[in-house]
Amino acid sequence: MTTTTGEPVLAEHDPDRPNQPPQAQSNNAAGSGAKRERWVALGYLLPALVIFGLFIFWPLVKSILLSVQGTDILGNPSGFVGFVNYTRLFGDPDFLQVLWVTFAFTVLTVIPSIAIALLIALLLQSRIRGVRFFRTAFALPFAFSVATASVIFGVLFNPASGVLNGILNTFGVDKVQWLTNPDLALWSVSGATVWMQIGYNLLVLSAGLGALPEDVLEAARLDGASGLRLQRSIVMPLLTPQLFFLVVVGTIHSLQSFGQIKILTVGGPEDRTTTLVYSIYEQAFANNNSNYGYASAQAMVLLIIVLIITALQFGVLERKVFYR
Amino acid sequence: MRTTTSSAARRTRLRYAVPAAVASASLFLAACGGGSGDGGDGGDGGSSGAPAADVLDKASGVTTVAFWHAMDGTNAEALTKLVSDFNAQNTGKIEVKATYAGKYDDAITKYKAAIQSKSTPDVIQIYDIGTRFMIDAKQTIPMQAFIDRDKLDVSDLQPNITGYYSIDDKLNSMPFNTSMPVLYYNKSLFTKAGLDPEKPPQDLVAIRTAAEKLSKKAGGPADYGFGAAIYGWLLEQFIATDGKEYCDQGNGRDGKATKVQFDSPESVEVVKWWQTMVKDGLAANTGRDTKAAQAAFKSGQLAITLESTGQLGGFSKAAKEGGWELGAANYPHIKAGTEGGPIIGGASLWINGENHEDANKEAAWRFVKFLADKKSQAQWHIGTGYFPISKGALEEPSDVEYRKANPLFDVAVKQLENTKLSKATQGCLLGVMPQARKASEDGLEAALNGTDPQEAMTKAAESLKSQIDQYNSSVE
Repeated sequence: MTTTTGEPVLAEHDPDRPNQPPQAQSNNAAGSGAKRERWVALGYLLPALVIFGLFIFWPLVKSILLSVQGTDILGNPSGFVGFVNYTRLFGDPDFLQVLWVTFAFTVLTVIPSIAIALLIALLLQSRIRGVRFFRTAFALPFAFSVATASVIFGVLFNPASGVLNGILNTFGVDKVQWLTNPDLALWSVSGATVWMQIGYNLLVLSAGLGALPEDVLEAARLDGASGLRLQRSIVMPLLTPQLFFLVVVGTIHSLQSFGQIKILTVGGPEDRTTTLVYSIYEQAFANNNSNYGYASAQAMVLLIIVLIITALQFGVLERKVFYR
Repeated sequence: MRTTTSSAARRTRLRYAVPAAVASASLFLAACGGGSGDGGDGGDGGSSGAPAADVLDKASGVTTVAFWHAMDGTNAEALTKLVSDFNAQNTGKIEVKATYAGKYDDAITKYKAAIQSKSTPDVIQIYDIGTRFMIDAKQTIPMQAFIDRDKLDVSDLQPNITGYYSIDDKLNSMPFNTSMPVLYYNKSLFTKAGLDPEKPPQDLVAIRTAAEKLSKKAGGPADYGFGAAIYGWLLEQFIATDGKEYCDQGNGRDGKATKVQFDSPESVEVVKWWQTMVKDGLAANTGRDTKAAQAAFKSGQLAITLESTGQLGGFSKAAKEGGWELGAANYPHIKAGTEGGPIIGGASLWINGENHEDANKEAAWRFVKFLADKKSQAQWHIGTGYFPISKGALEEPSDVEYRKANPLFDVAVKQLENTKLSKATQGCLLGVMPQARKASEDGLEAALNGTDPQEAMTKAAESLKSQIDQYNSSVE
């Protein structure tokens, strides 16, 4: 453990950096061999390239093209309009709210879902009877599709007949409008989303905890570390790769959430749960809309946001990550 | 040295990260890109007329009619029955293949994609508010072309229903499933509150007066005297019962509408009334989900609600199970004594002409004619609770029987017959009507949550301006 530089030893054998194949710059007759190797490599890559190209990059190019065009009532591009869609987008005061909701939703889902999963994962490390049962039970949300879970949460949130208000009612609390109160709806949807994500986060963190090197823990214990000190100074740093992974994946996942919003609130009340992805859907497909141009412009904004956040996470957050 | 290595490692990972982010963001772009094609020139090309009447006799073999609909549950069962009846009558000649195309919104989205891939069905069911769009999409043959060709007597069709789907007295599509808004109330709660259960409130002031006796807040028997979903359709109805037009250009009947008028004084009056009712604890705000308001009314939490005739069955059942008596009345007016009436809702059938064979067009017409027939309509009415479009259907013995068992349905029948057909009660034809409905809901919702009614409705109406302009300029 190097603590002096703050930059641990780890880069020296980094699992994410496989041994680079020796560059084939040899002087002998290997030139043609290298060429053949390149073709073989290309052959192996081809299936992935075709699928990526067809389903990812072609639509991306198409979206860029659509975003600078108008759209007729059937959804056909109606000609080049320059950056009209973009200027309209940034001139729209509602769009600022959409961005804010997207940001709030991401924060309200990513952080709690990791924090709660971490807490449960740590508790599940204890060697008590029946812990296997609890491990399975807590990971179960992972097995629910977003649609199923959302429908169930819709029932729980029902102000008149829902379980949540039923419980609150026994404590004398008046009916809470979980999904129709503009100040509360985003919290409710986020809460449901956190529940949906906990299962997966728990699996990843449990696996991470299970793979902690026993010798390091042993050494720490011999040095007298225990309890919180052990968790904070040994377990947490060793768990940073998993935590970092969950932050990145969770953020992208949250930015793209759709099903729970569509099913629970349809973006309301007063568009207070309309995230960027939901807004794209509304412009492109809902209410007989087919504003593909405008929707594509929003999709571009989403792409840039995801790129920036991911780059930031890799650039800033990853410095704290401790790869063994 | 060490630092350079690790920053290089970071860069490597960054290189992985960027494609990952691109990939994930592209998922949605893929969905958006899906709708763009190069097809759909939508020209008239002589396909907007009816084919010769004998074309089917000349055709060999079985003509298959593709029919997309948006009915599910018991409605779908009733429809399937009608389709198989038709097929049985036309064995060896015509076969209708019915396909569920999703709910109204999904069906129209699918239809747009079908236009681009030149694979529209022969007949499609489209919701009322898609009517202007269907005309502008220029894919269909107006019903009037068939009616004129056959010199068909259409006096059996309810004029108040065909009115919605007509421009200049020319019928574009055949109305099929039709519903109307009515006021529902809980007679038992009325009695408990000391109100006359045979005198339902018929204007805004009367609803408020009743709610003041019905609501828990004022010592009444119901949680709230009044409650209805934040549903734009209901606001449209208030404007129509007041005899006013929802959009300009004579409700879009004299020319393409250029603006909506739900920010007019009458409309704002309704919103203000509703807002005050909620503020004073006399009305519940159950949100936009119509099911939430329905559930609250069924469980006796609300004493008065506004809903479609389509809910009559569900409400009757809930009343029977809950041991209370259901009442139904005409849709209320803003002020007593105004001349106007409610607009019908529902969906209609369109025959596609563009890229379709003459034999298919003719077979499609026969199918549509079959569905509009009084016998089919009686069967449909009984099976679903939708309003029959045929006057004769109401005289069919089975239908008379049905209404004897469901006497409240006669309220709707009388309401429709007593409504004077005017541009106000024909309803607004607007290309972006679905968006307009949503915008009005945005305004109403904001107001119920505390925004100034005029401000909320003006903002909502103005938000549509650019959409309407864009629509109109793209169909010129």
